[in-house]
Amino acid sequence: MATRLKDTDVVIIGLGAVGGVAALPLAQAGLEVIGLEAGTWLTRRDFAPDELRNNYRGWPQAVQKANQEIPTSRATASSPTGPRGNLHPMQNAVGGTSLHYWAQSWRLNPWDFKVVSETKRRYGASRIPKGSTVEDWPFGLDELEPYYDKVEYEVGVSGQAGNIGGKIDPRGNPFEGVRKRAYPMPPLRGNEFLEKMASAARTIGWSPFPGPAAVNSRSYQNRSGCMYHGFCNRGGCHVDAKNSTAVTTIPRAQATGHLKVVTRAHVTTIEVDGDGRTTGVNYVTDGVEYFQPAKVVLLASFTYENARLLLLSKSKAYPNGLSNNHKQVGRHYFSHHQGAGVTALFPFNLNSWYGLPAQGVAVDNWADDNFDHSGLDFIGGGNLWVYSDRRPIGAAGMSTFGRVPNWGSAWKAFIKENADRSNSAYLQKSTLPYEDNFLDLDPVVKDPLGYPVCRVTAEYKDNERKIAAFIQDKMEQWYREAGAVAIQRAPVGGAMGVSTHAYGGTRMGDNPDTNVVDRWGFSHEAPNLGVLGASVMGTSGARNPTLTAQALAWRTAEHLAKNWNAISAGSRRPSVL
Amino acid sequence: MKSAVCAALLAGVTLAAQTAPQKIAVDSPTLRADQTMPRDHTPDGRNISPPLTWSNVPASTKELAVVCEDPDAGNPPPFVHWVIYGIPATAKGLPEAIPIDPAAAMPAEIAGAIQGVSGFRRPIYRGPAPPPGKPHHYHFVVYALDANLNLKPGLTRADLLAAIQGHVIGQGEIVAIYERKAP
Amino acid sequence: MTFISRRDLLKRAAVVGAAAVPANAGRPFQGRHDEPDDEPERLALRETALHGEAMAPREPLENLTAAEADLVEAIVARLIPTDANGPGATEARAAHYIDRALGGALASSRQTYTSGLAALDKYSRSSRGKPFTELSATDQDSILIDVETGAATGFTGSSAAFFNLVLNHTHQGTFGDPYYGGNANFTGWDLVGYPGIRTMVTAADQQRLEKKDLRSNHKSAYDYEAFTKATAQNRSRRSPHKEGA
Repeated sequence: MATRLKDTDVVIIGLGAVGGVAALPLAQAGLEVIGLEAGTWLTRRDFAPDELRNNYRGWPQAVQKANQEIPTSRATASSPTGPRGNLHPMQNAVGGTSLHYWAQSWRLNPWDFKVVSETKRRYGASRIPKGSTVEDWPFGLDELEPYYDKVEYEVGVSGQAGNIGGKIDPRGNPFEGVRKRAYPMPPLRGNEFLEKMASAARTIGWSPFPGPAAVNSRSYQNRSGCMYHGFCNRGGCHVDAKNSTAVTTIPRAQATGHLKVVTRAHVTTIEVDGDGRTTGVNYVTDGVEYFQPAKVVLLASFTYENARLLLLSKSKAYPNGLSNNHKQVGRHYFSHHQGAGVTALFPFNLNSWYGLPAQGVAVDNWADDNFDHSGLDFIGGGNLWVYSDRRPIGAAGMSTFGRVPNWGSAWKAFIKENADRSNSAYLQKSTLPYEDNFLDLDPVVKDPLGYPVCRVTAEYKDNERKIAAFIQDKMEQWYREAGAVAIQRAPVGGAMGVSTHAYGGTRMGDNPDTNVVDRWGFSHEAPNLGVLGASVMGTSGARNPTLTAQALAWRTAEHLAKNWNAISAGSRRPSVL
Repeated sequence: MKSAVCAALLAGVTLAAQTAPQKIAVDSPTLRADQTMPRDHTPDGRNISPPLTWSNVPASTKELAVVCEDPDAGNPPPFVHWVIYGIPATAKGLPEAIPIDPAAAMPAEIAGAIQGVSGFRRPIYRGPAPPPGKPHHYHFVVYALDANLNLKPGLTRADLLAAIQGHVIGQGEIVAIYERKAP
Repeated sequence: MTFISRRDLLKRAAVVGAAAVPANAGRPFQGRHDEPDDEPERLALRETALHGEAMAPREPLENLTAAEADLVEAIVARLIPTDANGPGATEARAAHYIDRALGGALASSRQTYTSGLAALDKYSRSSRGKPFTELSATDQDSILIDVETGAATGFTGSSAAFFNLVLNHTHQGTFGDPYYGGNANFTGWDLVGYPGIRTMVTAADQQRLEKKDLRSNHKSAYDYEAFTKATAQNRSRRSPHKEGA
């Protein structure tokens, strides 16, 4: 029998990038918040600059929850599931994956919110890819702008603005949506190679700019600026310059006295009452079961786990899983096509040993609808991002561009000369949801507690493959302009697999027949259940999801605080069967 | 260029110059035509390249090339086991066990010969390793060329065939078989 | 440790000394300032000394059997050889890294090594007529190519998977932080030109690197007191918490 704990106002499941953000406005509003985190606190002392541990082993997670729940994956409903990877992309800890992520911190472009209406307007309805279930977001960028601004300042994002109040600054991205003011910090420093790439972009008429990063470019909020030590990639920051929620919003929320952080809390299911309202959350710590009652539940456990927890939380009111009476949980899933990258070999050292993936130069000319698609057979595009990041084991594993075998004396001569001469661009592309791509529970594979793991059924469709081929051409062009002597391209198709950039599964929209949560992030069916994370996003844009998911999380939390009485005690909606 | 070569081969047209190429007689001290090859020419043994001898090579031959291919494998077929070219016209064949070490010199009688890139993506001979249960056929094809083409290292079979198109004045082959049993 | 008998030590030295050694071989690696050595006798002796040094008795083996360790040493010596471009996986002690890691982070591969090494040696005997460790370097390469391409028989699944596993671990043992037992004397980091672990890299440091003016500091992450070694999981001891694998 689970131990029933004292009631609270809000329980947040997962204190990672988005749960960790939502906690702050709620705590500041005086609501009593309990944050349930499966992992533990980690500190700077845990963040040794150790490539073997960070990039080839399971990282210093004291708790191995995610790694035991890695989703299975298959391309289509008629393909078999492939072998599972041995590392989950996400991290269990206070701060979650924001402790070791690449910390690129982008706003979406205006087009990403209105893909359907903009495509119809500019090219005609027939250009919406067949089989896609894409919808316009229930609001535009302008609605989210104040929350982007809030998070950028609260968490600390360094960057160069391109459009302040409608005035274009050529040092920034001329294609970005209007922003109210500059970034709180200037961008991370450049270096000789990045300057060379920027110069090459300008030569061919493109508009390069430094990318935005949730990394201090100088001292900010009494935390140090970046040390550029070269272990930011899947590494924690030894000086707290990487602005995870563990060193920013979570401690600030704790300081209000209204956030209690509970670690090693492995949430299993969400409880509901006979009316279909959530009543609290079941979790296990060291084999002991607890029930945490709450007036409102916010689910913030990353895309796969968000969908999974809902599907595992079956009840009389929700026989198909919590908030799944409309059968939308798991639907409209996609991961961002970042695998079809391009790698270049240069005839000179790039001096990339001491950089980080967020230190780079971007080109947005070929992203989204920033260029005319009239004569093309796809919609959307990709962001070109060149960054400065390298470590020894990774360098030794570099492609030999077909010049030598992968071992032996010829290989050794090659690596001695070329270890610091390659650069890879992973090319994030705007990706859409499709009817065929979804998340559900695996019928066979279970986690150690006996619960089915999440199963991904998804593949890249024609539109995404065409974007991939197009954007690879652009990237090759850019690399060659900068002096690259050899280029390799990864294949453009295939199964989506399990990814760090995962969207959908609990999509946000006005229509309850096709979306799980409403425009504020609250379930259409269970009014006191909110969902945070990229799982609510209906399009990806051509950039990383985290800042957008954090801005949405802040907005959802603020809405909850402002409408507390209505949401925490609201009546059952007619959409619940 | 590649598709033209394939079309030509499919149509049974050779890569020849004006007239049909002379038929080169290809033999081997260790291979018997249409018989199972010794295991030492396969990874079941020492995996060394077989010796070849040839005759009835046109007098005006300037250099030769040899390809070993398996039409019963590859996607698309054939699977290529060896590509070697730039063989001097004075050579009467290939000695056994051409070196696999890139630093080692070619045997004197074929000085200047270059090994191209096989289906195993290495510039060396690698013998048959067919999936068990069915014998495969390994064609050692010899081409006599009417010019010194100064072919660069790193050519695949497709690259080679494209480069020698129109220069083949002699051609011959010996076919050996190999089968692996299920374990 | 691989206990090398005096007979084996001399045999290996003889093989190295007598082999056709390229002109620049044997010179101890000195960053990027290799100079040609034109005294073949001294060359051969120095080569022997280098190898003798690398094979001196060290600490006991932790997980591999003596025969397995000999085989792993022989394999890594071909994967990243000692040659004109300096020391390789042998001097980096990649085999020692693998031996240690098989008791900890790579424990799930222990059985794969047992069966894969046995299969490799059996394949060597059946196809080339000798144990792998008794073949010439060229013949060892020929075997490894056949294992790499999946042409070798007798492995559980494809031999290519075992090859890739060992190659990956050899990279880890050559280029990983020396704390884990490999990359001895920063052999691997010097090969790729990595200037060592620094907790602060200023813009001036970056500029010096760009002007080729930044020497390696030959530091491991764990030379810095700031970081806890516990999370490196160097030992295979159990912990009340389930540590990262």
